Amino acid sequence: MYGWIWRHLPGNAWVKALVSLVLVLAIVYVLFQYVFPWAEPLLPFNDVTVDRGMGAVR
Amino acid sequence: MTATGHDEDTGPAAEAPASVPPRRLRRRVAAVVSVIGELLITLGLILALFVVYSLWWTNVLADREAHKQGDTVRRNWATTPTGPGALDTKDGIGFLHVPAMKNGEVLVKKGIDPDILNEGVAGYYTEPVKSALPQDKRGNFSLAAHRDGHGAKFHNIDKLKNGDAIVFESKDTWYVYKVYASLDETSKYNVDVLDKVPEESGKRKPGRYITLTTCTPVYTSTYRYIVWGELERTEKVDAKRTPPKELR
Repeated sequence: MYGWIWRHLPGNAWVKALVSLVLVLAIVYVLFQYVFPWAEPLLPFNDVTVDRGMGAVR
Repeated sequence: MTATGHDEDTGPAAEAPASVPPRRLRRRVAAVVSVIGELLITLGLILALFVVYSLWWTNVLADREAHKQGDTVRRNWATTPTGPGALDTKDGIGFLHVPAMKNGEVLVKKGIDPDILNEGVAGYYTEPVKSALPQDKRGNFSLAAHRDGHGAKFHNIDKLKNGDAIVFESKDTWYVYKVYASLDETSKYNVDVLDKVPEESGKRKPGRYITLTTCTPVYTSTYRYIVWGELERTEKVDAKRTPPKELR
């Protein structure tokens, strides 16, 4: 998979490395900005309040 | 890497009559396995990033937000006249100082929705049991805040011992509470801890109580950690906002 991507990136090794770095940063940005904030409430790690149980259905 | 592996494999395999199809098959299997492997590595990296996000990045965001809102509250206090009706619950009602938790001041806002708590503040309960406010004659001032991530304002709740001070600072009064009981593990459905008279803490008579709730064990939310305090005294805030002796 990564080999395939590397082979299809344009330019020489330096350009490829630079493009890869930009791609990685873009993916991290999307994860931190959109994916993780969306996923976090769905995971049971951070509920700090007591409730009657119905409160959990938000 | 896989290519050299195959070259070595062809030696013994070449003697077999049907050597070509198995070799192609093997190469295809190897390709599939390597893609699956790379996907698993990717998944592992994403999960590691999620941990970084939860335990570090949300703190950065929440602390920034809480600072901004805390500054707004202090600015409003400085500019608006004192007196009844001056309490603005939208921006936050005051600050919680818990020396034993070593986390500075925590802005207190109304409500316990995740949107509110994620701003790195403590929220007072509006439901399932409506919290009293510190200035009320009787009742239980019940608060929730994050144990980890999003400011982690109650991270050190387990450091609180009986007798430790919990100080709430409003615009014109310091409310000094003393911890008298705690529950290091209770069900998340145990809403009785928020009662006006929290009987589980051993109290039977109405008084002015404070209840801190957060999740436990650390990094999960299987149970809830509860700390109760009772109002010991109040102090008027002077012109220089000199903190009470518990905070000095």
